[in-house]
Amino acid sequence: MRREGSAFQGVGAVFVKELSDNISSVRMLMLELLIVLTAMAALYEAITALRQNTAEDPFLLLRLFTVSQAPLPSFVAVLGFLIPLMAIGLGFDLINSEHNRRTLSRILAQPIYRDALLLGKYLAGLATIAISLTALWLLVIGLGLIFLGVPPGGEEIARSLAFLVIAVFYAGVWLSLAMLLSIVFRSPATAALVALGVWLFLTVLWPMLAPAIAQAIVPPDPRFAALGLDTPGTVIWTQLLQRFSPNDLFGEAMLAVLSPTTRTLGPVFLDQIRGAVMGAPLPFGQSVMIAWPQTVGLIACTIVLFVAGYVLFQRQEVRA
Amino acid sequence: MRALDVARLVATFGLAVPLAISSVHAAEPPHDIKGLYMMTDYPAVTVRPGTTSNISLRLQNYDLGPQRYKLSVEGVPSGWTATLLGGGQPVAAAMPAPDSSVPLQLRLDVPANASLAEQTLTVKAEGQGSEATLPIVVALAKELPAKLTVSSKLPELRGSPKSNFEYTLTIKNDSGRNLVASFAAAAPQNFETSFTEAYGTQELSSIPIDAGQSKDIKLKVRPPSAIDAGHFPVKVTVNAEDASAQTEVALDVAGQPQLQLSGRDGLLSARAVAAQQSTIPVVVTNSGTAPADNIELAATAPSGWKVTFQPAKIERLVPGKDTEVQALVTPSDKSLAGDYQLAMRATSRGETASSQFRVTVSTSTVWGMAGAGVIGVALLLMLGAVARFGRR
Amino acid sequence: MSEQQNNSAATRPAAVIAARDLTKRYGKTSVVDAINFDIAKGEVFGLLGPNGAGKTTTILMMLGLTEISAGRVSVLGFDPARQPLQVKRRVGYLPDAVGFYDHLTAVENLAYAAKLMGLAMAERSRRIAAALTRVRLLDVAEKRVATFSRGMRQRLGLAEIIVKRAEIAILDEPTSGLDPQATIEFLDLIRELKAEGVTVLLSSHMLDQVQRVCDRVALFRAGKIAMMGSVAELSVQVLGAGFVVEVEADGAGIARRLAAIPGVGNVETLADDRFRMTADRDVRADAARAVVAANGALRRLSVDEPSLEAIYAHYFQATPSGGVRDAA
Repeated sequence: MRREGSAFQGVGAVFVKELSDNISSVRMLMLELLIVLTAMAALYEAITALRQNTAEDPFLLLRLFTVSQAPLPSFVAVLGFLIPLMAIGLGFDLINSEHNRRTLSRILAQPIYRDALLLGKYLAGLATIAISLTALWLLVIGLGLIFLGVPPGGEEIARSLAFLVIAVFYAGVWLSLAMLLSIVFRSPATAALVALGVWLFLTVLWPMLAPAIAQAIVPPDPRFAALGLDTPGTVIWTQLLQRFSPNDLFGEAMLAVLSPTTRTLGPVFLDQIRGAVMGAPLPFGQSVMIAWPQTVGLIACTIVLFVAGYVLFQRQEVRA
Repeated sequence: MRALDVARLVATFGLAVPLAISSVHAAEPPHDIKGLYMMTDYPAVTVRPGTTSNISLRLQNYDLGPQRYKLSVEGVPSGWTATLLGGGQPVAAAMPAPDSSVPLQLRLDVPANASLAEQTLTVKAEGQGSEATLPIVVALAKELPAKLTVSSKLPELRGSPKSNFEYTLTIKNDSGRNLVASFAAAAPQNFETSFTEAYGTQELSSIPIDAGQSKDIKLKVRPPSAIDAGHFPVKVTVNAEDASAQTEVALDVAGQPQLQLSGRDGLLSARAVAAQQSTIPVVVTNSGTAPADNIELAATAPSGWKVTFQPAKIERLVPGKDTEVQALVTPSDKSLAGDYQLAMRATSRGETASSQFRVTVSTSTVWGMAGAGVIGVALLLMLGAVARFGRR
Repeated sequence: MSEQQNNSAATRPAAVIAARDLTKRYGKTSVVDAINFDIAKGEVFGLLGPNGAGKTTTILMMLGLTEISAGRVSVLGFDPARQPLQVKRRVGYLPDAVGFYDHLTAVENLAYAAKLMGLAMAERSRRIAAALTRVRLLDVAEKRVATFSRGMRQRLGLAEIIVKRAEIAILDEPTSGLDPQATIEFLDLIRELKAEGVTVLLSSHMLDQVQRVCDRVALFRAGKIAMMGSVAELSVQVLGAGFVVEVEADGAGIARRLAAIPGVGNVETLADDRFRMTADRDVRADAARAVVAANGALRRLSVDEPSLEAIYAHYFQATPSGGVRDAA
C-alpha cells in the first residue's frame, strides 16, 4: 500500500528543534566541557612536546592530533574514547523520552510521517556532534597557529578534514546504537546503561579479549616465541577480531590519515618492505585508500544500526 | 752459465755500438780543413775556487795519418792541479784516427785560496810534424750560475678523458751545487695537474737535487671528464734560483662514451599501481665523446616486482644524443602503498650509468570500489527498509 | 445492528468520518472488531467504553497512526491508510494524557507543532496568539510547560487543534484527571468548538461528562460497538425508558393516574405514598397535574434524566463480559 506525501516532510522542523534542544541542553554542555577540557589537556601536552622538538616536520599540524605525552593519550585517542560518550549521551533517550513525555502521538498527529521524526532527530544528533567536532578542529588549528606558528599546508587541512569526516561517522555508529537502544528500551536509564555497557566492553574489554580469543583460535607457535616474535596467524586473528570494535576502526583510520608515513594497517611481511622507502609520506589519496576499509566499516555500521532502529521504530505502536 | 755468456755478449755489443757510431761520424763529408785541432765547446770558463771542474776537450784529427800526440798543459798557476783525463783516467798521449776525434777532459783542481785573477791555461798536443794548442781562459768566481735540465722519457701519452695521464720527468742538476727545484705545469683550462714522487703518492711542489744528480718526479694530469678528443700540450717549468728548464708533455685524449640514465625531463620519480604494469619512460644519454654500442638495460627492483625494458637493448648511441626506452614496471601485488626504490642501469662494455628511481605505488582501487559497494548495499538495505516500513 | 446504524446514518448529511468493518488485530486478538459508524459534520460524538475497549486504537486508525488490519475508514473523504498527511492536516488530535516539551514555553511548543503543520512564520504567530487567547493561556504563554497544571496542558492541547484549524477534533479522554472546575471549563471549550462547526470526536470513560456534551455516543465493548445513538435513544434501548420520575404524594388512585400519562411505562409503588415510574420524556409536569387531579398533596417530585451511567451499569450488568478489560 503506497502512502501519499513525502516521507521527509517536517524533517527540517524536527531537525531545527532537536538541534536547538541539543545545543542548549545542560547535558550537552557537560559533555562538551568534558571533551574540550580533556582534549585541551592532550593538546597542551602535544604542543609542549612539539615545541621541544625542533626537527623539521612537514606535517607539524597533524602531529598535534597524534602526539601523546605520558600520562595523557593523544588528542585523537581522547576523541576515540569520548566521542562514543557524547553520542550515547545524545542518543540514549532519543525516542523513549518522546514516549515517556507522551509527546510522540501528539507530534505524529501533525502532518508528518514518523520517518521524518526519526531522521530529523538522528540528523540533529549527528549535526550536534559534527558542530562540536568542527569547533574542536578549529581549536586545534588555531592553537597550532598560535603556539607552533606554522601555517597549515593544503594537505594537512585535507587530512585533518578527513579526520573530521571519519570522526563524524564514528560518532554516527554510536548515535545509531544509542538510538536503537532508545527504541528497544522504554526506560532511558536502561538504554543508557546498555549503551554504556557496550561502549565499555568495546573500548576497554574487547582489546584485551581479542588477543586471548585469537590465541585460542591460533595457538602461538613456540618457534616464533623463541625468536621473540608473534605468530603471524595469531596476529592476523587478533587484528581481525579487534576490528569488530568501532574504536579500533576509528583508531586505524586515524593512523592512516593523520600519520602520512603509514603504509599499511595490517601485518607486514618482510618482502613487502624490501626496497621500500621508509618514512616517506604517502600521497593524500593513498592514505585515504588505506583508511577506506575502516571508514567503510564505520559508515556501513552507522547505516545498518540506523536501519535496524528505523525498522523497529516504524513497527512500533505509537501507543504502547 | 749460458745466461752469463749472453750477458757478456750483450756487454760486448754495448761497447761496440758507440764505436760504430764514431766510425759513422768519421764518414762525414770531406772538409777543406786539414790538420790537428784541440777543441772545446767553451774555451773560457768560470770555476769556483776550492772545487774541481771538468772541461770537455776534443782532439780532432782532420785528414792526417794516425800518430801519437803527446798531451800537456801549460800555464797552470801554482797550487792548481790540471789533469788531462781520457776515458776517465789520466792520460799523457792521445791518438785520434783520421777524421776522428778523441774526447778528453781537463780536470782542474782549483785551490780555495787561489787568487781571483783570470788565468790562461794552454792544452797542447804535440806530434811529429803537427801540433795543436788550445788556450783556455779560466776565470775564478765565487759562485757559478745554477743549471738545470728537465726531460721526459715518455712525453706523449694517450688515454680516455677518464684515464690518469702520468709522466715521469727527470730533472737534472747540471750545476755545481745542490739545488732545490720547484716545478709548475701549465695545462689547458680545467686540467688538473699534480706532481708526486716517482714512487709515492705524496704531492710535491719542489724537490732538492744534489749537484750533478738527477731525480725523477711524476706529473699527473687529469683532463676534465667532459673533454672532447684532441691533443693537449702541457708545459712543465722547473725553476731553481736563477736557472730554469722547460719541457713539454702532451695528452692525446681519445674519445669515450659516457652514459647517463634519467627519467623523462630528468624526473626520477614515477607512479605505479600494485600488480599493474606501468610504463616509466627512461632516457639514456651519451654525454661522452665516442659512440656507445650495445647498451643493455637492467633494473634492480624490490622483490616480487617485474621490470622489463622496451627495447631491451640500444644498438648504438652517438655522442650528444639520447634515446628513450620504456621501462615496463609491474609492482608486486603485495606491494604496500607508498615509495619504493628502483635502480635502473644502462651498461655498454665498461661504461655504466645507473639511476635510482622512486616509484610511488598506489594500491588498486578495486577494494575502494568494493568498499563503496558495501556502503551501497547498506544504503540499499536502508531503501528497502524505507520501502517496506516507510511512511507511517 | 449495522443495518440499523446505516439507516440512521443515511438520514444524516455529509458523514465526515465513516468506518466500515474497521478491524485491528494484534496476532489473533481483535482489539477493534469490524466496527461501523458514521459521524456527521458538526456533531459531537462520544466513544464510550472501559479502558482497553478499543477506543484509542480506533482513533489511531482514523489518524493513520496504526495499521488497519481490515475494513476501512474514511476521514473527510481521505483514506488515512493511504493519505495520512491529508487527514492529519485537517484533523486535530489531543491524545490521552497529552505531553508537551517541559523545557519549552507554551508558545514554543505550539510553534513547533505549527511548523510541523507547515504554517508560515507570520501565520504561525498569529494563530498561536489567537488560540492561546481562546483557551485562556495567553498570560502564561511565555512560561515553561513544566509549570503547567493538568488542566492547562489539556487546554494547550486544545489550542494546538485550534492553531491547526482542524475540521475534526479528536479528543482522547480529555477530562480524565481534571478537577471539576477544569472539567467544566474544558467542556465549555468543546461546546465552543462545536459552535464553530468543528466535528468533535470524544473518547471517555467519564460518562456523565460525555453525556453533557455529546450528541451521540457509541458504546464500546471488547472491540465492538455495543450500542450507538443519542443518550435518550440508548436509555430506551437499554433501560426501556430514558427518564425515571419519582413522586411522593398522597391521594387516591395516584398510581393509576400516573400510569395514564402518555409516555409513561410502568409505575412502581415503592410505598403507600411513593411511586417510581419510567417514561420516555420528562413527565414531571404531567405527574404534578395528575396529583392535583387526584386532590393529593405533592411532597416531592424528582426526575432522573437518562443517565449513561445507568445505561452502562445496566448494560454491563446484564451482559457481563470478562474479556473486555483483559484486551488492553
